[in-house]
Amino acid sequence: MVPPSGGPGWGSPGRRPRVRQFDEQVEHGGIQVNRTIMLPASLDEAVEALAVTPGAVPVAGATDLMEAVNAGRLRPAALIGLGRITELRGWRYEDGGTAVLGAGLTHARMDRPDFAALIPALADAARTAGPPQVRNVGTLGGNIATAAPAGDTLPVLAVLEATATLARAGGTREVPISHLLTGLDPLRPGELLTWVRVPLLHAPQVFLKATSRSGPARATASVALVLDPARRAVRCAVGAVAPVPLRPLEAETWVAGCIDWDARGEEGAALIDPAAAAAFGEYVAGACIPDGALDGGPEGPGAVALRLRRTVSVLARRALGRALK
Amino acid sequence: MSSPTDISSPTDLPSAAPEESQDAEPFGLGSTALRTDALPKALGIYPYAADLWAEGLLWGAVLRSPHPHARIVAIDTTPALALPGVHAVVTAADLPPGPEGTPDGAPSGPIVADRPILACGVVRHHGEPVAAVAADHPDTARLAAASILVEYELLEAVTDPEQSFNVPPLHPEGNLFRHLPLRTGDPEAVGEIVVEGLYQVGRQDPAPLGSEAGLAVPRPDGGVELHLSSTDPHGDRDRTAACLGLEPDRVRLVVTGVPGATSDREDLSFQVTLALLALRTGRPVKMTLTREESFHAHTSRHPALLRYRHHADAEGKLVKVEAQILLDGGAYADVSSEALAAAAAFSVGPYVCANVFVDAWAVRTNNPPAGRMRGEGALQTCFAYESQLDQLAVQLGIDPLEIRRRNAMATGDPMPTGQAVTCPAPVAALLDALTDSPLPALPLDDPEADWLLPGGPGGAGDPAAVRRGIGYAVGMVHMLGAEGEDEVSTATVRVSGNHATVICAAVDVGQGFATLARQIVQSVLGVSEVYIAPVDSDQSVAGPSARGRHTWVSGGAVERAALMVRHQLLQPIAANFGMSVELLSIADGKITSYDGVLGMPVAEALEGKELWATAQCRPHPTEPLDESGQGDAFVSIAFCAMRAVVDVDIELGAVRVVDVTVAQDVGRALNPRQIEDRIEAAVAQGVGLALLEDLRTDGGRILNASLTGYRLPTALDTPDVRIAALLEERDVVATFGAKAVSAVPAVVAPAAVAAAVRAATGLPVGRLPILPEDAIVG
Repeated sequence: MVPPSGGPGWGSPGRRPRVRQFDEQVEHGGIQVNRTIMLPASLDEAVEALAVTPGAVPVAGATDLMEAVNAGRLRPAALIGLGRITELRGWRYEDGGTAVLGAGLTHARMDRPDFAALIPALADAARTAGPPQVRNVGTLGGNIATAAPAGDTLPVLAVLEATATLARAGGTREVPISHLLTGLDPLRPGELLTWVRVPLLHAPQVFLKATSRSGPARATASVALVLDPARRAVRCAVGAVAPVPLRPLEAETWVAGCIDWDARGEEGAALIDPAAAAAFGEYVAGACIPDGALDGGPEGPGAVALRLRRTVSVLARRALGRALK
Repeated sequence: MSSPTDISSPTDLPSAAPEESQDAEPFGLGSTALRTDALPKALGIYPYAADLWAEGLLWGAVLRSPHPHARIVAIDTTPALALPGVHAVVTAADLPPGPEGTPDGAPSGPIVADRPILACGVVRHHGEPVAAVAADHPDTARLAAASILVEYELLEAVTDPEQSFNVPPLHPEGNLFRHLPLRTGDPEAVGEIVVEGLYQVGRQDPAPLGSEAGLAVPRPDGGVELHLSSTDPHGDRDRTAACLGLEPDRVRLVVTGVPGATSDREDLSFQVTLALLALRTGRPVKMTLTREESFHAHTSRHPALLRYRHHADAEGKLVKVEAQILLDGGAYADVSSEALAAAAAFSVGPYVCANVFVDAWAVRTNNPPAGRMRGEGALQTCFAYESQLDQLAVQLGIDPLEIRRRNAMATGDPMPTGQAVTCPAPVAALLDALTDSPLPALPLDDPEADWLLPGGPGGAGDPAAVRRGIGYAVGMVHMLGAEGEDEVSTATVRVSGNHATVICAAVDVGQGFATLARQIVQSVLGVSEVYIAPVDSDQSVAGPSARGRHTWVSGGAVERAALMVRHQLLQPIAANFGMSVELLSIADGKITSYDGVLGMPVAEALEGKELWATAQCRPHPTEPLDESGQGDAFVSIAFCAMRAVVDVDIELGAVRVVDVTVAQDVGRALNPRQIEDRIEAAVAQGVGLALLEDLRTDGGRILNASLTGYRLPTALDTPDVRIAALLEERDVVATFGAKAVSAVPAVVAPAAVAAAVRAATGLPVGRLPILPEDAIVG
């Protein structure tokens, strides 16, 4: 990062010096490179900075972004640091049973008991997202913007049918997270991810993740599952097996019909036949890892896909079991 | 208070700590003295090589081969030289020419000089250094290195060690590093029960916490001074000088803080390139490798393929062992032939078997070079022979501990090499210690609250799918160099005023030698303030920090030097008191006669003088293994028995090692706390190899050269380590009767974990690391 030089970097003469800004000219192997880092203090300033600096990249926890910059895979013309925008770091209720989460909410904050009581699956995903150092700075918004296939919060947001608020100079718009992730309705130039709206369900919700070690690790597969007793529905999303979280809609509809919703709340009631739960697992796995992926011999990609299918199947079955317990 | 008989016996030193000073700092041999570097490391003030700085220094960077096997058609360094800020670019052509007068990359190596410093004509592994740059900024140096144009003609990469026998030589030295046949007994012997197995061990990387770093400073006399985290300062100095065509006295190697090493650290090419850049530019050059480069730059553990057939009688006694062992040495020889000797000699393990027929090969491939890592060779075979013994136990329907007891080696028994085990071999006692040790409780009452399930906290673990398994393993590893290697170390001890100083070129790489040296001097001279001088190559030779040799050879040298100083100190006083030296003792900085009547402080006895003594320690010699693998090749052997308890989620294949209980043959516990530390560290490394660590390659290219991709065990993956027993049966020829402790737990832990996973799942676990797919039932 650039040290605050105190010299000519403080604000640039051409613009209104509203946003605290550092400019630096560095010689990089004989090539002059301009580096600009802006530190807006409010959302309005951030949106404005984004509007006037095309190609600027907003950065919050920087756990993914700076790794790419340091490795030379990414050389952004300018960075807009969001760390000083305190309004984005919290969350609030909104009428109509919605939680509005700031994009700057850290994984560590989402793991705290008050938040975990509200959206337990998101708290579980945040808790397993990495080592404490990463969770202390890595943010919800960063997880969505990076959209890594193994991003732990993404299947939870997909299954909760969360929406994102995108702000730009002069207005905002709401986009379902799944549309954002799939590219159906992507982030446009000059837009900043500011809020995530999560409908509160007051019903069991589960996030499960399979990894290759007990310590923090990337998911080989993850499953988020919620019950919606009001609509007598089950929603499920599978993460890390495809570039975006997958929703096995047919399996969801099918399993909702297998659940004895009326027995809910009764002591010791079996809500679902174990065979149906196992079949649900298979159904989900089959939907997310299509038969075509299984080609390629016993040691080739087919074997990998078969193992992944089995893992997803176990995760989905267990997630349903925990949700119905 | 010590008695005169204590003093006369050098291997049985008086514990000089007076009983009344309970609150004093631990002192002398046998105490739990704190590591000398513990506090600076905890406070972050310990100086590592990466912290070095010199006025006007330049930064070095290396260009590495992106291909595992290719011919270098042309190298164009002009784009790099054209960049402002670049001061020098070096390739193989800048190294002294070979015997024929043409550049050959100045090949070097610990045993066979086959590895060029910078690739010359051919690259033989992914990441092989091709050229290096010195520039005024580290980024400039890296950019310049990347801008060098190298035209490669791709060659087929030989990555399967079994193919290595059938392909044209990958190197003028050939593809076979060593073939070691070991034959003893009757080839026709047949047992009533025969079990066979094929075992595979992956590529473990030492992954030291600190990546490679160093500083080279040119000297006015045309030589160079290297500041490095070297583990073998004199060997590195000599090889560096040879590669640069300098006299050894023109190269000085100063050892900086070592940020983690389990044996070797910096690859020779790193330091020679650094020195070459400094000599070329006439300015200090510093180089720090990135994490990714670090994985390419140092050697890893030998991947192995082992085929075993065990014959046993109806009682479970071993009748015959047949084995084929293939070690993948990678592109260059390094210490492969040494690792192979250990693999073949310990191919049966700590068991007695009269008929042994083993063929062991170490071969060249285009994979990353393998080298020295705790228990090289011995670890791979331990996994195989212990798996075989478990199979025999299943066939015979007896307890895995029982089959081991029936075959256990004892002192005096012959090894398959024909060498009798003259050191203590308390294998049966180690097994008994494990039997008596309680098992960790099953979390039956409130599983979800207290039980860390496989997969970790917040994972997908389901208690209903978790099976617990218990596995046992025993293993052995030799100490000191083998097969005729000259083992020697020299140390100097100086006393002045109320403190002593130890000057010895044995590098403390984390094994705790500095702490031990301090304890030795405290015990012999009774002074509590003991300083350990920084190590450089101007001191006398102490040899590499590997194979647990410093406790023996350098510890022995320090003890002898300290005893000589003691004699110099006491002789005039003894004469003055009219008694022999043996009747005086030193404690708490005071000299006291046997009856406590006469006494004087050490400082007064010294009368402002300084006393010095230098001594050497050279254990008894060994001989190379002959053409049938016979010979007294090893100085001494350490044994360890281990019980691993694992929980396996049999649906997801997640494995968690719950507990590892260790019974170890230590000879004598010189510092119990440090021994426990070393055992815990070695178990962590062994568990890592068993479940996680594998430097994966595809067609010779390393796939996971990062700490994200290369999975090291975290605190959650590391089990509780309990010490069931530290057996103190003294090895009479060893210094203090002590045995090396660091390597043998790492050798045994993977086998114990594999046995436990086998017990939990009923699956034939035949490869390490054990991946989730290897532990899924059904």
